[in-house]
Amino acid sequence: MKLYLKLGFILLVVTVIATGILAYVNSITAPQIEALKQEEAIKSREELIPDSIFEEVEVSPDFSYFIARNKDTEEIQGYTFIASQRGYSDNVKTMAGVDPDFKLTGIKVVEQSETPGLGANCTGPDFTKQFQGKTMEDLMADKDGGKIKSLSGATITTRAIASSLKQAIQTLQQHVQQQAQTIQEDAQ
Amino acid sequence: MKFFSELTKGIIKENPIFVIVLGMCPTLAVSTSVDNALGMGLAATFVLICSNMMISLIKGIVPAQIRIPIYIVVIAAFVSIINMAMEAYLPDLHKALGIFIPLIVVNCIILGRAEAFASKNNVLNSMADGLGMGLGFTLSLSVVATIREILGNGTWLKMQVLPSTYDPMLVAILAPGAFITLGLLMAVMNIIKEKN
Repeated sequence: MKLYLKLGFILLVVTVIATGILAYVNSITAPQIEALKQEEAIKSREELIPDSIFEEVEVSPDFSYFIARNKDTEEIQGYTFIASQRGYSDNVKTMAGVDPDFKLTGIKVVEQSETPGLGANCTGPDFTKQFQGKTMEDLMADKDGGKIKSLSGATITTRAIASSLKQAIQTLQQHVQQQAQTIQEDAQ
Repeated sequence: MKFFSELTKGIIKENPIFVIVLGMCPTLAVSTSVDNALGMGLAATFVLICSNMMISLIKGIVPAQIRIPIYIVVIAAFVSIINMAMEAYLPDLHKALGIFIPLIVVNCIILGRAEAFASKNNVLNSMADGLGMGLGFTLSLSVVATIREILGNGTWLKMQVLPSTYDPMLVAILAPGAFITLGLLMAVMNIIKEKN
């Protein structure tokens, strides 16, 4: 009995030390990682809709988008947002830009942990390029009647990306139209 | 001399994949292309060397009955630290290797070598063992990946090697292809061993 208590205690000490070290390393690295992510997000937004200033609009705690306005004329160039849906192993997060008619200007997969060699190929330009110019109706895997060519061996990943984008565009379109309506009503 | 033999044994004689048959999960999952195999192999080699040295250092103070859970805690903590530090300070490298790092925690070669070797040998030999096993793992993984990538995609290290008229044998990069390739390679290894 005494031996087991002693062993349990040693194990406790080891895990406490390990947790302490991990918490310490995390507290140092987390702000740095967060800063890098922000920087990356700004860069990706600029790639999707160049020469714009971005303004964030929050729709709900899980979904917000950025309005892109031309640097000089302040005309609305489009919107960018992050769409997320569960793929094969975890959520696949895709940043996308649309023009004022809600046609995709491009996408970039920003976070994924799909199977290397299969689903993970979704980050490559061979796959992401085909999204350019697609509308909401096109956003389905070719197997389901849409216009998105599936990654070989990774239909689930393809579906996750296509349907998350479709849903996000729908939410975005609704919100933008609602906003426009309220502005009109206010003006009257 | 001992140092050198500990280093080379992992490559053929005690090859972790084909002879000891450890670490099957990453072998099957990550051998779809050669660059994945190299990434996984090198990341695992690095962790293997460090964890072997660490385990060898603490072998005297760890009670025998609870050594396995302690090794797991040490290895998991170690891998998490590497993951966080890499993401914060080497973001480009992390982008290339990031997906493999959490997989290393469950790679049983690491725990296997900690238990079978590092807990009974000194730091220097444990380091040699880690390096040798890591290289053996990387090499075998690359061999499996070479076959699968060429057959399943017509490329090697993303370079086109088969003419573009070649219709890729998709099964090679899917899960069954991993089992078939691994099985055939093990058979070849066994034939060679029997002949010697």
